Amino acid sequence: MNPTYTQPMGARIVQIDHMSEAPKAVLKHLERSASPAGQRARLLMALDGLAAIAFAAGLAFGIDAIAQGRGMAPWLVLALAAMTFRGVLAHLTGVAGAQAAAEAKASVRADLARSIFGGPRRAAGEATTALVEGVEALDGHVARFLPARFSAAALPLVMIAVAAIASPVCAGILLATLVPFIAAMVLAGTAAAAESRAQFLALERLSGLFLDRVRALPVVLAFQAEGATTAALKRSASELAERTIRVLRVAFISSAALEFFAALSVALVAVYCGFNLLRLLPFPVPEQLDLKRAFFVLALAPEVYAPMRRLAAAYHDRQAAEAASASLSTFEAPTPKPAAAVATEAPTIRFEGVTVRYPDADAPALENFSLVAQAGTITALVGPSGAGKSSLLNLLLDLAPLTAGRIEAQGEIAWAGQSPLILPASIADNIALSRRDASRAEIEAAARAVGLVVDRPGGLDFVLDERGSGLSGGERRRLSLARALLKPAPILLLDEPTANLDAASEAALLDAIREAAKGRTTLIATHSEAVAALADQVVRL
Amino acid sequence: MSPSPLDHLIRAQKRERAGMLRLAIASAVVLGAASTLLMGLSGWFIVASAIAGAAGLAVAHTFNVLLPSAMIRLLAIGRTAARYGERLSGHAAALRALAAIRPAVFASLAAAPPSEALSLSRGEASARLVQDVDAIETRFVRLSAPWSAVAGLGSAIALAALAGPAPAVVILVAALAAILSARALAKRFSTPARAAIQAKVGALKDTAAALVAASAELRAYGLEAWAGEALNAKAAELDAARLEAARAQGLIVASQAVILGAAVAAAIATAAPAGPALAALAGLAAAMGVDALASLAHAFDQDGAAREACERLDTILRHQPRAAPKLEAVPTLTILGETLAPGERLAIVGPSGCGKTTAIETLLGLRGESALPRAAFAWLPQDAGLVAGTVRENLRLAAPKATDDELWQVLEDAALADRIRAAPQGLAAYLGDNGERLSGGERRRLALARAYLRDAPWLLLDEPTEGLDAATEALVVERLDARLQRTGQGLILVSHRPAPAALCGRVVRMG
Repeated sequence: MNPTYTQPMGARIVQIDHMSEAPKAVLKHLERSASPAGQRARLLMALDGLAAIAFAAGLAFGIDAIAQGRGMAPWLVLALAAMTFRGVLAHLTGVAGAQAAAEAKASVRADLARSIFGGPRRAAGEATTALVEGVEALDGHVARFLPARFSAAALPLVMIAVAAIASPVCAGILLATLVPFIAAMVLAGTAAAAESRAQFLALERLSGLFLDRVRALPVVLAFQAEGATTAALKRSASELAERTIRVLRVAFISSAALEFFAALSVALVAVYCGFNLLRLLPFPVPEQLDLKRAFFVLALAPEVYAPMRRLAAAYHDRQAAEAASASLSTFEAPTPKPAAAVATEAPTIRFEGVTVRYPDADAPALENFSLVAQAGTITALVGPSGAGKSSLLNLLLDLAPLTAGRIEAQGEIAWAGQSPLILPASIADNIALSRRDASRAEIEAAARAVGLVVDRPGGLDFVLDERGSGLSGGERRRLSLARALLKPAPILLLDEPTANLDAASEAALLDAIREAAKGRTTLIATHSEAVAALADQVVRL
Repeated sequence: MSPSPLDHLIRAQKRERAGMLRLAIASAVVLGAASTLLMGLSGWFIVASAIAGAAGLAVAHTFNVLLPSAMIRLLAIGRTAARYGERLSGHAAALRALAAIRPAVFASLAAAPPSEALSLSRGEASARLVQDVDAIETRFVRLSAPWSAVAGLGSAIALAALAGPAPAVVILVAALAAILSARALAKRFSTPARAAIQAKVGALKDTAAALVAASAELRAYGLEAWAGEALNAKAAELDAARLEAARAQGLIVASQAVILGAAVAAAIATAAPAGPALAALAGLAAAMGVDALASLAHAFDQDGAAREACERLDTILRHQPRAAPKLEAVPTLTILGETLAPGERLAIVGPSGCGKTTAIETLLGLRGESALPRAAFAWLPQDAGLVAGTVRENLRLAAPKATDDELWQVLEDAALADRIRAAPQGLAAYLGDNGERLSGGERRRLALARAYLRDAPWLLLDEPTEGLDAATEALVVERLDARLQRTGQGLILVSHRPAPAALCGRVVRMG
């Protein structure tokens, strides 16, 4: 392919360079709505600081006991107990973090499901990705990053305050290394964070590019473009790798700064304490240290930086969550619709000058379309795929946007399509999905009416697996029609009810369709002339 | 066991990135050693200073303060440089290696039998090309972990040996216990938990896809809220598996902490006879030595996922790209029992779902072996089949070396040149996923132009004028006819519309 290959990618990276407000709102929401488990995770991780103090004290007093010739055993037992406690805390923190993440994800997932199943229709792939990968990307953010950020904010100062009890000068040294460290992090961090965020998103785009070429694989194969496509992908991948490495050179400066100031604080504390203990300091200090104080501060010094180290390790989780929240925030909560008027009489359905234009589409899916379906009749909508048949049915379910025109359709809706939802439950329960309070007799009547004869052990109690294994294509449609029949709705919508069925199965299904349509106003989108022949009116789109 | 294809790839990448990886390992060694030495030496220095200070000013003045304090500062700076070097070179090597491995997986996927490659769902493709390849990143980034651990542990043992053999043995035993327990716990708890996560993510994806596909049904029966609950119930199984993995990881971390505490206490106790300064040195060395193993323990925890990813990638990578057979002469062609001489035209008509598209795809070898090489065909698929990219990229899929003049010529023949010329970026206009910035009819005509661009003796056009208005359709058909007369190409046309079918001398009726 050509050298301009990566230009569009570069152009797109610029657009996503800085985060807009909406994705931040998703993360903010996660942070504010901290569950008890989330608070527990924060608290447990912060408690680790106390255990670290106990460990340092155990070491310091143990060594001091050796120097004084006293028994060291109790202090060593304290050190061991403190480390055991730290281990237990780490375990509990991990568990609490996982629980908090599960709760937070469940809440986000529920909102998202409301938007996807209750709002305007989105592309199926987009919706599925958001529901699974998008939500799962928040896991590490809640489980690890948020607790780590809390301890990184609180613990260093606590540690320094405790160090001040043993040696105010050492506490001053620790504070003095912490301040420039934070300044360095702010300076290097904000620049690097923006770049690495852009890089992270660019990586996601690259993954998208690979997936796109997998999707287009039939075309790639047919045009024998395997080699050229692989070469182009390779070029994009290595260009991105080189750009990422350039970013990392800067980004890792912040981790080097962390390392430098952590090491510097240990070194300064050690050297100061040594000279103080030797009484060789070239300047006067208001304190005279003894061994246990000095050693305690030394053992504590690395712990001042440990929480920030944990935060740095969890930063990747934060980036993943930011990237995901950018796409999650495009799903908006649906506006509540007034409940459909309860009508038992089959209504007349009118479309007047209806236009449907999906967001981002150049051309309308349906333009200035009018139709009257008389009460209690069957109308067949026929025409090539993409002519707008499904859009018309979706309009009545609020799944398609009504851009212009007017619709009149009073009453609840029953619906049956070519791939009905199959639950891992009994056939009877599957039918009753459309009316949860239906009696067994009503379910059986509906099944009988559409000719759903279940020739299996247990009959209607036969339990299906998730894939509906064992049900033939015709049986699935019948199940779907039985569902529609069970719901006392005056409007029936059928979307390609016989697609992918052979002629014999289709013919056998026609009676069931006629039965389901009885006493309702029915719209059928179909390719099949046999189905269209059932209709009182045939409309070509 | 012979090395798998992925091992070959990884090995080749390791060879190619040897310099970087060596730098990462050298930095890791310095880092591991410097961290341990810094803490051990600092502890010793403080205690020794305290003893000297307590003995009086005269003794204090004879104590050499310059060497240890200079060493301490040197180690602090060395550790910083080593950390930077280790992270940058490790990640650079890993990034470059993955940038080479991912396209290789794609190439193998393209070389796999069509039944295998084309049945891959988007979710599976993303699992293989994205998550699985990401999982093997640890095989490069963590390459330096054992070296850092060995250096840290080695320095710790060497320091402790100054206080006598017993503390050194204590640290060695603790290190062995730490490694063995981490491995055993990872194998017993982490590996099954991580495998369960993989399986549950798959199940959640299936449920989500099924519910999304049933949007209309859910809406009609007021089951929107129920769908959310059903999804969360499925996700709860995944989160239970994640909780197990967190427990397993916590268990490993806890075991390491307990061993570290025991090692420190035992090292101090056994070094006590050598005096408090050396006891301090031994204690801090034990802490740092066991701590140096943390990244190794983490690697054990993650290993299960990487191993499974490798196995899955190997099943793709065993397909090696082969050279495509050359087209010797213009072949005659047989489809649906009709034999066509070069340059002939055939229309296939029939109701939808009767297998017209299947017949075309069989001819192309997308549904098993075909009698003719793919070089014989230029194809317009029913769904247009555009890639995410620019107009130029889409067209050049058919002829990588085509000039812009040639591109404009085929766009002209497909009656799309005016539309593309009107766009501000022309041939460089980005079309989005699946050509989403174009209308259905424009997508179709761009795919038609792409088929024209390919120098093949047979054109296979699946519904070329679907979604076009009558005037545009007439223009497309007229230019197609002129083009065929000019190039002498043969035509197989699938269409339910009379205008394009009228171009064909022969008609096959299906269904």
